Amino acid sequence: MAETNKGRSEEEVARAFVNHYYHLFDNDRSSLSTLYNPTSLLTFEGQKIYGVEDISNKLKQLPFDQCRHLISTVDSQPSSMAGGCGGILVFVSGSIQLHGEDRPLRFSQTFHLVPLLQGSFFVQNEMFRLNYG
Amino acid sequence: MAAAQMDPDAVAKAFVEHYYSTFDNNRVGLGGLYQEASMLTFEGQKIQGVQSIVAKLTSLPFQQCKHNISTVDCQPSGPASGMLVFVSGNLQLAGEEHALKFSQMFHLMPTPQGSFYVFNDIFRLNYA
Repeated sequence: MAETNKGRSEEEVARAFVNHYYHLFDNDRSSLSTLYNPTSLLTFEGQKIYGVEDISNKLKQLPFDQCRHLISTVDSQPSSMAGGCGGILVFVSGSIQLHGEDRPLRFSQTFHLVPLLQGSFFVQNEMFRLNYG
Repeated sequence: MAAAQMDPDAVAKAFVEHYYSTFDNNRVGLGGLYQEASMLTFEGQKIQGVQSIVAKLTSLPFQQCKHNISTVDCQPSGPASGMLVFVSGNLQLAGEEHALKFSQMFHLMPTPQGSFYVFNDIFRLNYA
């Protein structure tokens, strides 16, 4: 497991990120913008979106106000060899309960986290797909 | 394939078709797609290196299977010219009534010969 600047394992970084991301998504969606930068890429149900501004707008404009993510699995791996960029791939599956809907929707999501100098990470790549039954 | 000249979406699609066709028809041939540094997480189990990965994939508890791919998404992963590929679909096992739904993420890295190998591979079944 790759060690980050702070001495955390890549698994610990992935878990902390997942908790933070979905907490923001479910409680303060506009603050998700802090996780992206101008080079970030999001593919949301096949739609490609570039850069923090457009990504934030897309997430804010999703057609529901309240939601709750329930995470089933989190897998992570370093995205480069030791001595490389220190990126981490995170693969999540779970379900999202929309307010007023009878049943939750199942989803899978991939993140590529890339470290910043200060020891935190930003989302360089993100892909989201609903998993239909 | 001359990956640098092809459209990334086309490269991803070609890779996915090749990967699952090899899986379904010549599973041991998957060894050509991984290297020593490659990592596979299969239903939460972490496996490293082409030999261990091929041993895992060829010892899965079914002989015949067929992958049917529903979605393929791809993005460039950064300055090292890697490509992330995100797949969803279902896996039909011979003799089983219902297909299993799955999602899989590949991180492909370029080879000097101009093709790709799988550096990262994460597989999860999607239970209802």
